[in-house]
Amino acid sequence: MTPASSDDRAGKVFGALSDPTRRALLAAIAEHPAATATELASHLPISRQAVLKHLGALTDAGLLDRTRSGREVRYRFTPGPLSDAVDWMTAVGAEWDERLAVLRRRLGGPDGGRSASGSPRRRSPH
Amino acid sequence: MTERIERELWLPTTPEDVWDAVTRDGWLADHVCLDLQPGGDASFESDGRVRNGWIEDVSAPERLTFWWAEDDEPASRVELRIDAHGDSTRLRVVETRPLEMLDLVGMPLPGAGGASYGPALVAA
Repeated sequence: MTPASSDDRAGKVFGALSDPTRRALLAAIAEHPAATATELASHLPISRQAVLKHLGALTDAGLLDRTRSGREVRYRFTPGPLSDAVDWMTAVGAEWDERLAVLRRRLGGPDGGRSASGSPRRRSPH
Repeated sequence: MTERIERELWLPTTPEDVWDAVTRDGWLADHVCLDLQPGGDASFESDGRVRNGWIEDVSAPERLTFWWAEDDEPASRVELRIDAHGDSTRLRVVETRPLEMLDLVGMPLPGAGGASYGPALVAA
């Protein structure tokens, strides 16, 4: 797989997961493998119609595997694309963590060493 | 799960010091070349790895937004926000990859030579 297609898929995955309902739906599918839309709707506070719409978005992102059994379609979670997205998040996040650690050493954050600036106020982000 | 990377760091110094530290060589990359004006070129080189990009928005010493990409990879957008709170300065970093937005606009992803069409993306 080329980096471009991998990144494009990561973008789709991010889009699919940006919606809290879809995240809840994905969690329900992971918990109830091979569930149908009707079964999934019974686990969530949304209609079967809404479940079908969100299943479409998750399938487009490559996060679901659909198998037809009789008149029903069953959905399974396929986490492969998620790891592309997670890989990007992990790599980019680690780069920023390293840059911020460098900056803290240089400019004297909580563990850093610019004593000349006196006694800095320790501020937590939250 | 979100499509954004967000980080925040408090430093016991001034926004000017932080601005100087984040725009000079050795932070964003070993060698940083920034034409600090909207649409200006940006290049970043570390250990032979080169990223090119362009400046979307700049207001020293508190705001720098730029795009960067390596080779033909999709670009990502980096926002650096610096603001003073009493004796401390907060640096906030947000890196996003708004692929869907780029697709909607129908623009090529800013890679090499991105500066030539970068500002059009902002306008769109």
